[in-house]
Amino acid sequence: MRWRGSLHALHAEWTKLRTLPSTWWLLVATVALTAAMGAAAASSLTTRVCPTPTACHEDTVKLALTGVQLSQAVCLVLGALSIGAEYGTGTIRTTLTAMPGRWRVLASKAAALSLLTSAAGVLAVLSALGLARLILPTPPPVDGAMFRAAGGSILVLVLVTLLGLSLATLLRDTSGAITLGLGILYVVPVLSHVVNSPTWQHRLQRWAPMPAGLSIQATKNLAGLAIGPWAGLGVLAAYAVGLLVVGGTAFRLRDA
Amino acid sequence: MTTPTKTVQPYRSALHPTRAGFGRLLRAEWTKFWTVRAWLLVLAVAAVVTVVISQMGASGSTTGGGPPVVVGPGGEVVNDSFRFTHRTLTGDGTITARVTGLKDASGKGLGPWTKAGIIVKSSLKQGSPYVAVMATPAHGVRMQWNFTHDTAGPSSDLAKAPQWLRLKRLGGKLTGYASVDGEKWTQLGEVGVGGMRGTVQVGLFLAAPVHEIVHRSFGGTSEVAGSGQATGTFDRLTFQGKSTAGGWTDTDIGAPTADGPNSQPGTTTVSPTGTYTLTGQGDIAPDENSPDTVQMSFQGVFMGLLFMVALGTLFVTTEYKRGLIRTTFTATPSRLKVLAAKTTVIAAITFTTGLLATAIGFTLAQKTLRSNGFKSPEFPDLSLLENPALRAVVGSAVLLSLVAVLALSLGVVLRNSAGTIATVVVLVILPQILSFALPLPVAQWLLRVTPAAAFAVQQGVTYYPQVQHNCLPESGCYPLSPYNGLAVLVAYAAAALLLAAWTVRRRDA
Amino acid sequence: MSHTTGATDAAEATIEVRDLRKRFGRTLAVDGLSFTVEPGTVTGFVGPNGAGKSTTMRTVLGLDAPDSGQALIGGRPYHALRTPLLEVGALLDAAALHPSRRGRDHLRWLAHSHGLPMRRVDEVLEQVGMEQASRRRAGGYSLGMRQRLGIAAALLGDPPVLLLDEPVNGLDPEGIQWIRTLLRHLASEGRAILVSSHLMSELEDTADHLVVIGRGRLIADTAVADLLTAASGDRVRLRTSSRTEAMELLAREGGTVAVIDRDTLTVTGLPAERIVELLGASRVPFAEVGAHRATLEEAYMELTRDAVEFTSTPASDADEVTR
Repeated sequence: MRWRGSLHALHAEWTKLRTLPSTWWLLVATVALTAAMGAAAASSLTTRVCPTPTACHEDTVKLALTGVQLSQAVCLVLGALSIGAEYGTGTIRTTLTAMPGRWRVLASKAAALSLLTSAAGVLAVLSALGLARLILPTPPPVDGAMFRAAGGSILVLVLVTLLGLSLATLLRDTSGAITLGLGILYVVPVLSHVVNSPTWQHRLQRWAPMPAGLSIQATKNLAGLAIGPWAGLGVLAAYAVGLLVVGGTAFRLRDA
Repeated sequence: MTTPTKTVQPYRSALHPTRAGFGRLLRAEWTKFWTVRAWLLVLAVAAVVTVVISQMGASGSTTGGGPPVVVGPGGEVVNDSFRFTHRTLTGDGTITARVTGLKDASGKGLGPWTKAGIIVKSSLKQGSPYVAVMATPAHGVRMQWNFTHDTAGPSSDLAKAPQWLRLKRLGGKLTGYASVDGEKWTQLGEVGVGGMRGTVQVGLFLAAPVHEIVHRSFGGTSEVAGSGQATGTFDRLTFQGKSTAGGWTDTDIGAPTADGPNSQPGTTTVSPTGTYTLTGQGDIAPDENSPDTVQMSFQGVFMGLLFMVALGTLFVTTEYKRGLIRTTFTATPSRLKVLAAKTTVIAAITFTTGLLATAIGFTLAQKTLRSNGFKSPEFPDLSLLENPALRAVVGSAVLLSLVAVLALSLGVVLRNSAGTIATVVVLVILPQILSFALPLPVAQWLLRVTPAAAFAVQQGVTYYPQVQHNCLPESGCYPLSPYNGLAVLVAYAAAALLLAAWTVRRRDA
Repeated sequence: MSHTTGATDAAEATIEVRDLRKRFGRTLAVDGLSFTVEPGTVTGFVGPNGAGKSTTMRTVLGLDAPDSGQALIGGRPYHALRTPLLEVGALLDAAALHPSRRGRDHLRWLAHSHGLPMRRVDEVLEQVGMEQASRRRAGGYSLGMRQRLGIAAALLGDPPVLLLDEPVNGLDPEGIQWIRTLLRHLASEGRAILVSSHLMSELEDTADHLVVIGRGRLIADTAVADLLTAASGDRVRLRTSSRTEAMELLAREGGTVAVIDRDTLTVTGLPAERIVELLGASRVPFAEVGAHRATLEEAYMELTRDAVEFTSTPASDADEVTR
């Protein structure tokens, strides 16, 4: 009985997401921006810098996946809107009247969002890498590192969507969630570069969600990373899941 | 009309019609702003966050205090080390020489700003005033004095033809000349430089600044040091004037100390035919490599900016969301006036708050930086009321205000807070992040054409054209000059405002 | 010119809509609508949901640009008004408030936009009975309070022309009575008032004149009295315990008789005096004879029978055309 209820909740959230035109626009934007920016970054590379794959300084896989840095903002908006819009319009009361189990509602939302984002993420990453292969003078080899970078990038997008969902659940407001989310994602890494202290730079690189999460994209010079690829993704996942639990607890305890 | 014609006296408003002047509109918009408590709160948070993060950034930055620095006559930190073949000159005099060649002595390629020429320097002390004329491999003949001044002469190529150079001292004035044949002379400039009275040092000099070749990739940045040593050949050296000593002496100004990794003493050889060959290293130029204590005091602006974006956006998008915009346009049918009033109010509010935050943030951060070892003379004391500090403080406030205007305008176009906030933040912040990682030409291009260029206004270091400099975004260098950088953001805000004006007039409310 | 006051430069305080047309995508929201609202009258603007009432009002207020035609206030388009709040008061959407702004502050910025004194804000708040509530944030207002605040905003400039979109929505019976009295009073001062509603019954005892539209077209533009007379016809209502005898008698004398219920009949074709005379002569007992009075609702139903776009739509405030 319980799992059937969960399935219904998932179906309801799926329908809600699916019938919102903004969802589709945002997903299309995710794919388009990832691909377009990856292509732009790849075409910035000349044969002078990269004569052969072996003599190439550049991490071409990471370069091709640059677009994720942009499209994650779109995913953040998608996640934040999925519940923020309900608070904005008061639909949340209808939702909670229909499905009183709040954890179940939030989990279903998270699941539906993850499904959609990972589908869009697969498309985005595949098209970015595909375009890069066409553009780059020396295409990167298809190897385990590349698969890790590609799969990891999809996970980054999913986790950032969940981050948006958790922040919006916590703040009950889309604008606030997006502002805070963008601050965490973008401003902290900027600070990590401009702080004139190697210790702090290293700390911020390790523990800020975006630099840590994106270390999964590295395929070269792994020793130079502040945090390992999977550990870095783990940091981002810890933020997303941790905030989701905090948000969910608040959601559970507060009046709608 | 089927209405029975009643004899009704049409009503007239008992209130006095006061023209809906622009001042009243500003007052109305200001009232709209301060009556929403959350916005005042966001404004306060923006100010506090800006100050606190600036302070944190400053306290995280320390300096160990490197080798003692050389300060030029203008108070700026300079490099002043070169190979000098010299003698004294008292009173008026002229020195002439022909530069016949300039080549790399380290095997790593000749730097574009390698200098071979003649110089008049007030003493052998580092940082003392000087006037020099010189030939360079990539920048032709130059006349330079007191480190920060540079005048271009004829563009010549030493590889093709030798270059005649002459410096004449007459009274308090020094005049530089260049010639291709030693007969027809072109005057490069005439300067009166302070601190050059009495006996001075004149002679041939050679300086070879280290030029870095930067490779950048996602794995990190690698800098390959280029030539730091060069050899210059001179002949036809003539000297007219009163000199205490009879001949030429050789000195390495700023003699290589033990801590320089590649430091080698310079050499001077004279052939029987009168050809002087000088080998040396170093540079006579402003030092641009020390950390920028001005820029380091504004890290909170990155965070404060987020709140300004949110404010600018919400100030207009909430009106669209609630339908309040219809009330606004009913009260003031001229939509452009409404847009102008909204823009003025948000710009004024964010500028004032921003200015307060950056001024306080800067002052506190400076204090912290001073106690963290950033001390005079290497890091000159900065006054809030003088450039570059004044420019950076006011410029940062302008930046915050422009970002809010950009958000407001985009909000009018998109009518949606989520999309607007995300777009503006991505537009302003993401180029910075990408510039740290992308290949250098693309990175610099991004920092020229995106609104992120405006952060150049926080730079305190002056980048002189006569110094070869790899403008690395991660070292806080922006390719545009402070005012030009800010102008890029002005252009973005203006374009967005125009677009907003166009849409607000065209679309139904 | 220096002594002009109020709307002197306007020829008259009127709302004129001339051959207005407005299309949203494929929907023709307003289709060649023309009517005039005269000073001193409350004009009901009636039509089913989606008939184009709100669009028309938005166009009058210069918020939507018409595809063709004109909407004029005192002979001038809205955007030509120099002090709009002193010439037109409007209530479009009572929910159009920032939830964290106090009601009083909402009026305050409106007052500032025309340089009106804060005294005026207090006056209108008192007029709508919101002195206390206006010190609270609008987010906590009931629909009725929002309507009152919206009416206060419309009255702020003491304008000779008022446009109120569904002002009765959400008011309690006491509030409905209040607004009726208020509107009658305002009209008696010589103001031109346009009040929209999708329920004719809301306008009973309030409107003098009616503009009825359906699917963006004008269905009727008539005085309420004329409409009621037309709908009532010359029917006479008769209550009698001897139904059959009365029916036979009156039919014989040339009347058309219809049965309403067990002891009520309506008679067409015979004046009431004649009926009394006939019944009296034939000793048919009757309890009551009187002219039949149609309700406004009946008259309206008759008018809009062909023009209803959404039949059996439950009453709602959704008169928005989705864009």
